[in-house]
Amino acid sequence: MSTSPSILSVLSEDLLVRVYECLDQPCRKTWRLISKDFLRVDSLTRTTIRILRVEFLPTLLFKYPNLSSLDLSVCPKLDDDVVLRLALDGTVSTLGIKSLNLSRSTAVRARGLETLARMCHALERVDVSHCWGFGDREAAALSSATGLRELKMDKCLSLSDVGLARIVVGCSNLNKISLKWCMEISDLGIDLLCKICKGLKSLDVSYLKITNDSIRSIALLVKLEVLDMVSCPLIDDGGLQFLENGSPSLQEVDVTRCDRVSLSGLISIVRGHPDIQLLKASHCVSEVSGSFLKYIKGLKHLKTIWIDGAHVSDSSLVSLSSSCRSLMEIGLSRCVDVTDIGMISLARNCLNLKTLNLACCGFVTDVAISAVAQSCRNLGTLKLESCHLITEKGLQSLGCYSKLVQELDLTDCYGVNDRGLEYISKCSNLQRLKLGLCTNISDKGIFHIGSKCSKLLELDLYRCAGFGDDGLAALSRGCKSLNRLILSYCCELTDTGVEQIRQLELLSHLELRGLKNITGVGLAAIASGCKKLGYLDVKLCENIDDSGFWALAYFSKNLRQVQK
Amino acid sequence: METEDDLCHNNWGSSSSKSREPGSSDGGNQTFAGFTSQQKWEDASILDYEMGVEPTLQVFDEMKASGQANVDFLQGVRAQAWDPRTMLSNLSFMEQKIHQLQDLVHLLVGRGGQVQGRQDELAAQQQQLITTDLTSIIIQLISTAGSLLPSVKHNMSTAPGPYTGQPGSALFPYAREANNVASQSQNNNNCGGQEFDLPKPVVVDERESHVVEEHEMKDEDDAEEGENLPPGSYEILQLEKEEILAPHTHFCTICGKGFKRDANLRMHMRGHGDEYKTAAALAKPNKESVPGSEPMLIKRYSCPFLGCKRNKEHKKFQPLKTILCVKNHYKRTHCDKSFTCSRCHTKKFSVIADLKTHEKHCGKNKWLCSCGTTFSRKDKLFGHIALFQGHTPAIPLEETKTSASTSAQRGSSEGGNNNQGMVGFNLGSASNANQETAQPGMTDGKISFEEPFSPMNFDTCNFGGFHEFPRLMFDDSESSFQMLIANACGFSPRNVGESVSDTSL
Repeated sequence: MSTSPSILSVLSEDLLVRVYECLDQPCRKTWRLISKDFLRVDSLTRTTIRILRVEFLPTLLFKYPNLSSLDLSVCPKLDDDVVLRLALDGTVSTLGIKSLNLSRSTAVRARGLETLARMCHALERVDVSHCWGFGDREAAALSSATGLRELKMDKCLSLSDVGLARIVVGCSNLNKISLKWCMEISDLGIDLLCKICKGLKSLDVSYLKITNDSIRSIALLVKLEVLDMVSCPLIDDGGLQFLENGSPSLQEVDVTRCDRVSLSGLISIVRGHPDIQLLKASHCVSEVSGSFLKYIKGLKHLKTIWIDGAHVSDSSLVSLSSSCRSLMEIGLSRCVDVTDIGMISLARNCLNLKTLNLACCGFVTDVAISAVAQSCRNLGTLKLESCHLITEKGLQSLGCYSKLVQELDLTDCYGVNDRGLEYISKCSNLQRLKLGLCTNISDKGIFHIGSKCSKLLELDLYRCAGFGDDGLAALSRGCKSLNRLILSYCCELTDTGVEQIRQLELLSHLELRGLKNITGVGLAAIASGCKKLGYLDVKLCENIDDSGFWALAYFSKNLRQVQK
Repeated sequence: METEDDLCHNNWGSSSSKSREPGSSDGGNQTFAGFTSQQKWEDASILDYEMGVEPTLQVFDEMKASGQANVDFLQGVRAQAWDPRTMLSNLSFMEQKIHQLQDLVHLLVGRGGQVQGRQDELAAQQQQLITTDLTSIIIQLISTAGSLLPSVKHNMSTAPGPYTGQPGSALFPYAREANNVASQSQNNNNCGGQEFDLPKPVVVDERESHVVEEHEMKDEDDAEEGENLPPGSYEILQLEKEEILAPHTHFCTICGKGFKRDANLRMHMRGHGDEYKTAAALAKPNKESVPGSEPMLIKRYSCPFLGCKRNKEHKKFQPLKTILCVKNHYKRTHCDKSFTCSRCHTKKFSVIADLKTHEKHCGKNKWLCSCGTTFSRKDKLFGHIALFQGHTPAIPLEETKTSASTSAQRGSSEGGNNNQGMVGFNLGSASNANQETAQPGMTDGKISFEEPFSPMNFDTCNFGGFHEFPRLMFDDSESSFQMLIANACGFSPRNVGESVSDTSL
């Protein structure tokens, strides 16, 4: 300790900055806690900040003058008064804040928003998603941020066309807007948006009750690249025909769950846009026909296709994969006709495949998984939920070849056992692992995971009744970066195991539902260790008494939601 | 088509038959009958407007057939003439003209069949030629007829008696007939693509003014294109400002009481003695608006306001058709708008009928633009916004926005103490509410629909307005409620735990 300051004092500031950039996040924190030099470097270089406690907001804003991105989405006590007081402080106005995340901050209303919008002159990105109370007046307040380029307003339930019109007129330079779940928006609003914000590149109108008229207006957007319209029940093939001749820059279309859209609508999109890169049409096409495949062949740049829920025969999968060789992501969940023949062809042709969703494809066996693992070395995400024929053989080849795999979903795969987990644990980059309903795994398998998958962020062990306290202890020791852990209905677990969870300091989401054996002692231990805990589910844990909740109340300052 | 023609025919018959019994003793009824037929004529001519060339020709056939009756009727009039010689010469002139007209129409009928089959250009040319002839004849006819009329009226005024009302009323249908012929020819003209509007001799009849009122109010602006009289073909009258604005135009010579309508005055006069109860006294005097013996020209009116387009000195003078037009025009254009809508407190009118029309629809226009324009339909508002740059839909309850700054200063000037801050906010909103009552409806140029919502002036709150925006009002109260909770919770500083977390995790 005595020597380190001297070393740091030798280094010039720009070198310190470089050193600091090389450190990873936990290291940075450690360093800035022990060294004033690094603390200074941090305060000078930090551009993004996420505030958890509103009390410290003014001081923090003062300390970090170069902030450009402010995240207030986990700051529950933020409201108009705080914002107005900030305005008096004047620190915010001197900052060049470009990005503001106000997601879920429902206590900020029109007044506060307007003050914020006025204070942050350089504001370009605002996220007010899930502020369910937001309506037209909030929109009007936001419209005073004239430089706004990206706006996310998902689930602002009261937002109507009038509010949208305010934003559109006020911020006509918008590039990207998301209006998902803004149920009051109608064709008129969308029409005006498309008429005024000509530079729009990304538009999300998912779940809106808009009709084909909106699509006609949208088709006039020359620069539009991304169009999401998930579950728009009133849009049909006639609407998609407008897109055939419109929106020349269109690259990504999502028509998932649009009930009235059929294959002919998709064909008209594909016909008009041979350069399209992403096509998501899950649960709206019933069958991939020959005519569709004919047009798909022309798509040389197609990277992502989701056709979940469609009848995809092996022959169509063969011709699809042979024509779209640059495919990186394919969604085939619930495509029950898919078998090994199709999958082998897919694996041989699409070597760049990164994401593969085969959930509920019951006929897929180890052969297909081995072929994919051997050919597609870049595979990052593999979803095999309810593929009951998968056994440890398939997982063996996964462990051998797919070193880059980050996400693996094996929910409800009976075939997965301890041996299988041992193979999986060789995928050292694994970040998300779902093993829900895999009843054949025991402490032994969990031990492998805990010892080798140190990068794991998310682990789902829902109803894995086969493992107990020792397994959990191994997990808690090995997977230090876990922030989401689901242990519901793992009946074997007792206080001894659960107490080990306290080692997981980064844990923010914990589900312990139905663990009858744990008591207040276990909960208290968790509360004392997991300071970042934000979500806790202790429903049906009948033996937890008040002492556990007292501890929770005392330690867990970041807790937002408790299910009990 | 058949029924329309029938109607025309009947009218011809009725008007001429009425005029053929001048010896009837029931003067008042006669006048009324004349009027009803006249009304029918108007209807018929309106119907004619909607007919094409063919029906017009048919009507002309009808006219030809009744031409004889027409002449008979003219002779009936002659018997009552004051100066028989001039009258006779006038009438023979008219007879001649009517014959000419008949010939022309014959020509027209003869060609009618060919016109259909012929080349369009040729047909149009010929038709144009015929119609120009026709119009010139009709104009002559009318002016002669007009010169006939005052002489008869003169007769009436100089020799008042129980029967004198009749000639006027008998003649009246004739004037209308001529007018109708004219309107038909006009119709013809329109088919030929030529722009020609025939003057209609409009006699202001106070009794039917309630009907006229509605028509004229709408027609006033349209008249600009419709009226295309050659200068000098009409007489210009100009009323003085006081005359226009006078509440009453008819005064009782005995007690001095004023009336808006002469019919009302006549009803009133009955109370002053039996001599006012005679049929003649109660009959509608046609004379009143037509002065003296000079040849009857069409009357048009000029606005007394210098520089107005409706003033005769103006370069592009557009005359006003009736006295009622003058009144409405003068009030609308050159008077204060003293009638304010009791609902929106914004729209002002100088003509009370306009206010009533507005009040029928006020409140229905709930779609409001930042420029102050209101729309009854949302799509119209959005079309407007798309058209005009910078216009935005206004969100009612604007005053909360403006009060935000004041309450912010107040609230935050109190410093850290949250309770005081809350009180400050209340003060802010209350003072703002007071401002609102001081100048209702207007906030920095934008119109606010809302009555201010504050306990202080709750009594004055308009519940009509309240119901129209229930959601917004509730919204407001909700937000202030939330504010209250937030304040109540306060910010007790807690130093335990992390205040910053790294985003990249």
